Amino acid sequence: MSVAPAAPLLEAGGLTRRFQGLVAVNDVSFSLRPGEILGLIGPNGAGKTTLVSLVSGTLLPDAGTLVFDGRRIERLAPFRRAHLGIGRTFQVMKPFPGLSVLENVTVGALFGRGGGERNRAHARERARAMLDFTGLAPRLAQRADALGGPDRKRLELAKALAMQPKLLLLDEVMAGLNAVEVDEVVALIKKIREGGVAILVIEHVIKAIRSLSDRVLVLHHGQKIAEGDPASVFGDPRVVEAYLGKRRA
Amino acid sequence: MSARWWVPLLGAALLGAVPWIGDETIMQFGIYLLLVAVLAQAWNILGGFTGYPSFGNSTFYGLGVYGTAIAMAQFHMPFWTGLALGGGLAMLCALLIGLPILRLRGPYFAIATLGLNAALSALVANLDVAGRNIGLILPLTRNDVLFYEGLLALLLAATLAVAWISSSRFGMGLIAVREDEDAAAVMGVDTTRYKIAALVLSALFSALAGGIYAYYVTFIDPASAFDPKLNVQMVIMAVFGGPGTVLGPVVGAFLLYSVYQALASSISTAAALFYGVVIILAVIFMPKGLVDLGWGLRRMGPRYLLETVRQYRL
Repeated sequence: MSVAPAAPLLEAGGLTRRFQGLVAVNDVSFSLRPGEILGLIGPNGAGKTTLVSLVSGTLLPDAGTLVFDGRRIERLAPFRRAHLGIGRTFQVMKPFPGLSVLENVTVGALFGRGGGERNRAHARERARAMLDFTGLAPRLAQRADALGGPDRKRLELAKALAMQPKLLLLDEVMAGLNAVEVDEVVALIKKIREGGVAILVIEHVIKAIRSLSDRVLVLHHGQKIAEGDPASVFGDPRVVEAYLGKRRA
Repeated sequence: MSARWWVPLLGAALLGAVPWIGDETIMQFGIYLLLVAVLAQAWNILGGFTGYPSFGNSTFYGLGVYGTAIAMAQFHMPFWTGLALGGGLAMLCALLIGLPILRLRGPYFAIATLGLNAALSALVANLDVAGRNIGLILPLTRNDVLFYEGLLALLLAATLAVAWISSSRFGMGLIAVREDEDAAAVMGVDTTRYKIAALVLSALFSALAGGIYAYYVTFIDPASAFDPKLNVQMVIMAVFGGPGTVLGPVVGAFLLYSVYQALASSISTAAALFYGVVIILAVIFMPKGLVDLGWGLRRMGPRYLLETVRQYRL
């Protein structure tokens, strides 16, 4: 815990979202400081992706508040939140299928934080840098829908990074990767954090969550059942029962 | 770079010279050819770039027709004023209906735009100022050179607009909407504003073409102004040539309309089948259009056809 307690970049208060009868996210509060990595875990259907969608603006909350960089954002449209500096990846990946890898990432640079780069040539330069950073540079001319699974994950990450976000929401960017690839992505995420970016990581790969997260938040049936440093959260019997117990059985 | 621009420029210059070379039949053919080319290019701005399959562009064309006709026939305004009014009317309509209608996606959007066309046709047929079912007669002007060159200038303007779009930040935003609208939104594209801007621009070019054509034919009625068949034509031409490309829709319009006319003058039953056959072949073998087909054949030969069939799981 060497990080100085800076003012939070994101503060969620009592976020709630219902889908007809189901309360997908139920009164969840948390905060995130610049340069901090928060791991978000929970069994399938716990509401993790819904929570990320509430922050990115893809869904609007039924109740609760979101303060980002000192501004209330819970009713803002997704593109406005992107301009403020929130970037996300999708669990069900959403590449622009007919565009090249470079064009995909260029979109992030052309829009993104502050409305993005106005000049397409400059945006392309920034996109190239992101492709170098994520190791996708050799694939730059390929169509996105011709990429294999691991490269698609990298593309999701590169697109979000090209937006130069202050807050990055990563929804299972490691699912389906092998051990070596997981280590590579973990190293990437650590490097991103060094730049002061706050990161929310949804992940099922426990090893990765342990090594990445400054804090871990556990959702179960839409409710927060635990929050704290990784060691104490993974030792919590409620967490073991709700999440690890079932999955490891 | 130079070859890419020389060919279209030379083509435009040649087209511009046609009134001094061709006879009356050629002029008639040329005017209608340019009309459908402008309409295909205008459709391209919305359908090709944002991927919203509009079957309502004939509505904007019809508004251009009626705006110009009403101004000239009922209020005795000069042609250019009427044209400006028609264009303005179509843009206003696009702006007003864009917000509700662009929330719909895919086939729902297509059906809604189709309905729009029928609704406006019915509306106009009941307005006294628009001449009800009977239609309007515009002042007669025998100035085919003006109509021809006007439509050619409009086609150039629309193509330049599309060229600008395809290399601009705005265009990249439209393409992002086409490829994945949700992803575009979280990446910072103001999807609603972009879609409406594309619709308004598309409406403007369609309406201006309609206005010029109205003055050319001098007699207009609801059935001809709001003709869904015209809309089917522009979609086929743009998609055949290459949606989302700069020259594809123009090439598609020139090629298909020429073949259609050749067939219509020799075997008219075959002509009626023509567009249907083109749709089927194009969807199976070249869903990305003629421009992509040419590029793909050069790069990988006949294997391109197989690849596209496999890629789109047909």
